[in-house]
Amino acid sequence: MSVIECSGLTKVYGGAKALNNLSFKIEENKITGLIGRNGAGKTTLLKIIAGLLKETSGELKVFSEKPFNSLQVSANVIFLHDQMNLPTALNLKELLETAASFYPNWDRELADRLLDYFSLNPLQHYNGLSKGMKSTFNMILGLSARVPLTMLDEPTSGMDAAVRKDFYRALLKEYLAYPRTIIISSHHLSEIEDLLEDILLVKEGKEILHMPVDILKEWAIGLQGKTTVIDEWTQNTEVIYTKSIGIDQSYVVVRNHFSETEWQRARNAGIDLTPVTSSDLCVYLTSKTKGGIDDVFNKG
Amino acid sequence: MSLTKVSLIDVVKKQYIYKLKAYSQVFMSLIFLQLLAVLFSMNGVGSMGGSTGGSVELQVKYFSADFVAAFTMLWGFITAILITTKAYRNDDFVFVTNRVSSNLSNAVFLLTASVIGGITAMLSSYLLKVIVYYFISDLSIKSITVLEAPMELLLGIFSTILYVFLFCALGYLVGTLVQISKAFTVLLPAAFFGTLILEGLSGKAGTVANVFDFFFTESSLVLFIVKIIVSAGLLFSGAFVLSNRLEVRG
Repeated sequence: MSVIECSGLTKVYGGAKALNNLSFKIEENKITGLIGRNGAGKTTLLKIIAGLLKETSGELKVFSEKPFNSLQVSANVIFLHDQMNLPTALNLKELLETAASFYPNWDRELADRLLDYFSLNPLQHYNGLSKGMKSTFNMILGLSARVPLTMLDEPTSGMDAAVRKDFYRALLKEYLAYPRTIIISSHHLSEIEDLLEDILLVKEGKEILHMPVDILKEWAIGLQGKTTVIDEWTQNTEVIYTKSIGIDQSYVVVRNHFSETEWQRARNAGIDLTPVTSSDLCVYLTSKTKGGIDDVFNKG
Repeated sequence: MSLTKVSLIDVVKKQYIYKLKAYSQVFMSLIFLQLLAVLFSMNGVGSMGGSTGGSVELQVKYFSADFVAAFTMLWGFITAILITTKAYRNDDFVFVTNRVSSNLSNAVFLLTASVIGGITAMLSSYLLKVIVYYFISDLSIKSITVLEAPMELLLGIFSTILYVFLFCALGYLVGTLVQISKAFTVLLPAAFFGTLILEGLSGKAGTVANVFDFFFTESSLVLFIVKIIVSAGLLFSGAFVLSNRLEVRG
């Protein structure tokens, strides 16, 4: 069953297209990483799925319903982000109690234990928390709610390394015990890579690719060697990224269409073949130019 | 994980309970405003005096809780605007909600606030009596006690509640309009005071005076109730329809 189905989704913000004809499907009980540069439309997409914003055009179904103004979608989706507005009059304990009254699957014991573990004072107010602690509290809300679709937008922003690690572990444990559909948007792909099953990569409001992480790891390959040799090899293939090293060496990332024999021939021609990490690949795929920041400085 | 089914009534009920707790600050401001109004009322709302031949001087003062009731209506208006602002409106969207349930629970909350405001405003007249007795004059010419006229008190409370609720409804619509476009923060006061001034200049009783008469000089109780409920209903429905497409932006 598809939890989210969208086709041709477009959202216009004051003339600019935050989402541009986006189409994808997300299956039940998978952890999907929503990856993209700043301003790629990640948050906008999540807000539309949560029913906070209304799409300009296109079709979006969450649990087979349009999310905007749908109570059913709201009851089955929790969306946590770092600019969240929580009622200022309530302290953390009261906030958790309120959440418990709204979400029938709420795990009170888990929430209390997590609050205790991360040493958050239950009598404190949300606005008085530091950025990292706010993120931590959001995570407690998100995990304890046990909602069929959990969306976390930049869940680790402001968290220190130790809390980030704990968070990933807690998320995985919760997911294994109570499988649910989870979407995480993050800049730290390398950190969450092991957690994810699928990756949805967006750039300028468009879908670049959507595939399982395992396949993404093999999807592209890096070639390094003499520039003349490399150029010859990459003539007819789609180049994803290119960088010159020294005077006559270059490093090029291309789609991995090579067969076993071609690999062998490439090695014989003096080309180093290296796998590309998904994190690097995502950076290459979402950059505006083929050469990255180097292009800015290479005027010639 | 299986899907949860929810009903509108159920969600509205939960939101209402949560709002009673989360919006508790508005009741603090109610107490403060009513005390302030009691303070203002201590000078009396009207007085007359006279002297006979220079040896006897008589001064009669009227005390009433009218100020308190007026302040409570103003409080209702401001509270309603307050809960339409982004900070309050977006709070709902952290938990389970849609725009209809959010508006409905707001309306029920405002009704509760009006009831509390109306009762306390009417009861404040007894506080005023005690203060006047101890600090101003222990000679009371006419003071109606509860037992003498229980219906009057109940009627007073009931009509104050309705007036406060009417102002809440007006405030809710005004607040919603402002949420739709900030231009209304200028347009609405300009339109209100503009009409007041223009009508003042022309010297005729105009729209504002007529509207005031329509609500405040009705002698039939049934007609009064119908007027208020229909008007408040229209104001709220207007706000509901207008806000049903409002997006939640950070």
